[in-house]
Amino acid sequence: METILQMKGIKKSFGHNTVLRDVDLTIHRGSIHALLGENGTGKSTLMNILTGLIPDDGGEIVLTKGVKITFIHQELSLVNDLTVYENLFLGHEIIKHGFMDRKTMIQQSKAALNRIGVRLDPAALVKDLGPSEKQIVEITRALLQNNDLIIMDEPTSSLTDVEIDHLFEVMKQLSQQGISIIFISHKLQEVLKVCDEYTVMRDGRVVLDGQLTKDVSEDQLIEAMVGKKLNAMNKRERLIKTDDVLALRDLSKQDEFEDINLHIRKGEIVGITGLLGDGKSNLFATVAGANYPYQGQIVVDGKVTNMKNTAKAVARGISYLPKNRKENGIIPGLSINDNLLLTILRHLSKGGILSNDRQRLAFQKYSKVFNIKYGQRRDHITTLSGGNQQKVILARALSTNPRIVILDNPTQGVDIGARSEIYEEIEQLSRQGVSFVVLSNEFNEINHICDRVYVMCRGKIVKEMLHQELDEEAVLRYAMGSASEKVD
Amino acid sequence: MQLSKEKNKFSMKRFAQQNSALIAFVILFVVSVLIKGKTFLNLGNIISVLQNNATIGIISLGMMLIIITAGMDLSVGSMLAALGLIGLAVLNHTNSILLAFLACILAGAIFGLITGAFVAQFTIPAFIVTLGTMRIYRSLAEYACQGGGITATVSHADKFINISNSSVIGIPIPVIIWAVLGLVIWVVANKTAFGRHVYAVGSNQKATFLSGINVKRVLVFVYIIGGMLVAVASMLEASRLGSINSASSGLNYEMDAIAATVIGGTDLFGGKGTVSGTIFGTLTLGIINNLMNLLGMPSFLVGAVKGAIIIIAVLMQRAFNSQSENVSTN
Repeated sequence: METILQMKGIKKSFGHNTVLRDVDLTIHRGSIHALLGENGTGKSTLMNILTGLIPDDGGEIVLTKGVKITFIHQELSLVNDLTVYENLFLGHEIIKHGFMDRKTMIQQSKAALNRIGVRLDPAALVKDLGPSEKQIVEITRALLQNNDLIIMDEPTSSLTDVEIDHLFEVMKQLSQQGISIIFISHKLQEVLKVCDEYTVMRDGRVVLDGQLTKDVSEDQLIEAMVGKKLNAMNKRERLIKTDDVLALRDLSKQDEFEDINLHIRKGEIVGITGLLGDGKSNLFATVAGANYPYQGQIVVDGKVTNMKNTAKAVARGISYLPKNRKENGIIPGLSINDNLLLTILRHLSKGGILSNDRQRLAFQKYSKVFNIKYGQRRDHITTLSGGNQQKVILARALSTNPRIVILDNPTQGVDIGARSEIYEEIEQLSRQGVSFVVLSNEFNEINHICDRVYVMCRGKIVKEMLHQELDEEAVLRYAMGSASEKVD
Repeated sequence: MQLSKEKNKFSMKRFAQQNSALIAFVILFVVSVLIKGKTFLNLGNIISVLQNNATIGIISLGMMLIIITAGMDLSVGSMLAALGLIGLAVLNHTNSILLAFLACILAGAIFGLITGAFVAQFTIPAFIVTLGTMRIYRSLAEYACQGGGITATVSHADKFINISNSSVIGIPIPVIIWAVLGLVIWVVANKTAFGRHVYAVGSNQKATFLSGINVKRVLVFVYIIGGMLVAVASMLEASRLGSINSASSGLNYEMDAIAATVIGGTDLFGGKGTVSGTIFGTLTLGIINNLMNLLGMPSFLVGAVKGAIIIIAVLMQRAFNSQSENVSTN
C-alpha cells in the first residue's frame, strides 16, 4: 500500500505541559486509520500540527506530493443560513460573467454527493439538515476540493445509531476511492467496525499501532490506552430507602416540559434519559436555577424553593454541571485555578482578600481527586486537554459541598479511563449521602451507575425504571414514544 | 545556547504582550524627551501632566472594571457634571466638605446602581443604557442650572479649593488619591473573589452564571464602583476649578476614559484588562496632550493625533497577541 503521510518524532509542549514526546504516524492510501487515546494524550495537538494550525517543536512531516488534507472538527464549520451547495463551494465559487454559476455548482454538488451514495438536495438550507447530514456536507466539501486525507474528530458524538451507520457507509465508499481517513473516536466498538489500521497514544507517545485485524480485541485497545487492566464493570446492587431530598411537583414550562413529577432520595443516583428534544436538559436547568420562571413546585428537603437563579440553587445545596463544556462551562480568560475554584472563591478569603494558601490546598484536593493533569495551577485553562477541562468543571460543581448534584452529559468527550474515574467518584460520594441526577443519552452510562431511571419523551416523563428492570430496547421504545405508560 | 535564546525570546514576547501600554508609554516618553528634552523633563512639567490627568485616570479605573465585564459606560462625562453640581450644592448649603464628598459619592453609587440595574436586570446593552443616561444626566444638570453652573461660595471655599491645588511632599493631592484608588482597584480586581468574578463574567458570562455566581450582582456592583469613582473625580474637578459648569464640565471625558482603558490593553469584548495598563494608558494620552502643548500645535489638531494614537496602540496589541496565541484543543 502506498504511504501518503509520514510523521516522525513529532514533539510539542505548551508552557510546562509536554503534550507530544516523540510521535510517529504513518497513513496509507485508502485506509481508515483510527487514532486512539485518552483525553490529553495529544491526539488533537498532533492533528493541529499536521494541518499547520500550530507549529511543532521538532520532528519531520513527509507528505506525498499533491496530497491535500481536510480537518473536520467536532464543531462543524458550516454556515447555517446558506444552502448545501453554497457551503460546498464557499470560497471556491464558480463564477461565470462575474456572477455565481448556480447551475454548474448544483450539478457538481449532486455529482459529488452521488459519488458517496448520498441523496441530499444541494439547494436545501444547511440549518434544516440533521447532524449526520451536516457531517456529510463537510465530507463532500473535502471531496470537491480533491483532498485525499480527511481527519474526522469524534464525528459520531452527536449522531444517532442510524446516522452513524450511514456515515460509516460513506467512509467505506471514500476509502474504496483511495481517500484516506484519520478517525478520532472514543467509541471502540465503532473503531472496530469501520477502521482497518490503528495507532494508540498515551501520555504523548505511541504505545501500540498496526493493522486492525480480527485478532485485535477491544480489551487490548483499552489496556493500551489506559496502561492498566480495568476492573470488570461492577453493577450496582444497592437498595435505597432514604428520605427524599428533592421533589418536583407538576413542574411545567411552555414548549419545554410538562407536568413533571419526580423525586430523588438521599444518596441515590438517578438517571434521566431520552432522545433529542426530550426536554431533560431544560427541566434540570430549571431545577438548578438557570431557567426561571416556571410553573409548579421545586421542593428541596421538604421546603418549596423559588429557584430564581443559580446562586439560590447553590445555597440550597444543588450544584450543576451543564452540557456543552466550551459554551457553558469553561471560562477561557481565567486560569485553571480560578476555573476550578470559581464558585467557592469567596470562602477562600481572609478578611476579604483571597488567600493563596487556601486556594492551593483546595485546588490540590480536587485536582488529586479527579487526577487532573496540568502544568501549573496558574496556567490558562485552555492549556488543558478537553477531558481535563471537563474534570475541572466537574470538580467546580462538586466544590460547593452539594447535597444534590445535577450532571448533564458528564462524560462528554471524555475517554474510558477518565470516565471510570468520574464514575468512581460519583459512587463514592453517593455512599456518603450525596444524591446525583445524571442526564445522559447513553444507555451504557445510565446502566452502569444509576439506581433508578426516568425516561423522558417530548417534555414528559413516560417511564420510571429501577436498575434491575433496565433494558436497552425497552428504554428506547419508551424514549421514542412508541410505548407509553403513566407514571404515578 | 539555542534553547536559552529561544526561552529569552519567548519571555520578551510575553512581556510585550502583557505590558503593551507600558511600552507605548515609554516610547512616547522617549520621543517627548528627544523632542522637548529639558522642558518636558522639568519636574514641574511632569507633575502637571500627572495632575491634569488624575481625573481621567480615576474615571478610567472604573471604566476598566466595566469594560472587563464586556460592558461600557458612555455617561461618565455627564455624570461628572451632575455629581459635581450635587457635591457643590451640598457644600454651599451645609458648609461641610465631608458632607459634600459623602453626598456626591452616594449619588455616584445611585447613578451606578441605575445603570447596573438596567444592564443586569433588563439585559439592555450597556452601550444603549449609558447612551441614554449620558443625555439624561447632562440635560437634567443643564435644566437645574439653566445652562449655568455652581461655584463654591461658602466660607469654606478656600479650604475646598485647596484640596486639588495643594501638594504633599511635592505631589499634588489628586495624584495621591489617584494612586491610592489605583491600588485599591488593583487589590479588588486581583485579590478578591469579586474581582475574579468580574473577569469571569467578561470572559464567559453564561458559564459564570451556570457555575452558581450571582452575575447580576457582579454587574450592578461594577457600575456602582464606576459611579463612585466618577464621584471622587467630580469633587476633585470641582475643587481644582472652584466650580462646575452644567454644559461644559466633563464634556467628552467618556471618550478619554475609554481611550485610556483601551490603550491600556483592556479588551472591549471583556475578560481582559489590568490596572497598571489603564494607568499607563491614561499617562500615554496625557503625554500626547502635553507634548502637543509644548510644541505649540494648534489645539484643534489634538483630537486627530489622539485618535491616531488610539488606533495605533490597539494595532500594536493585536500584533503582540496574535504572535503568541497558543492553540491547544486536544
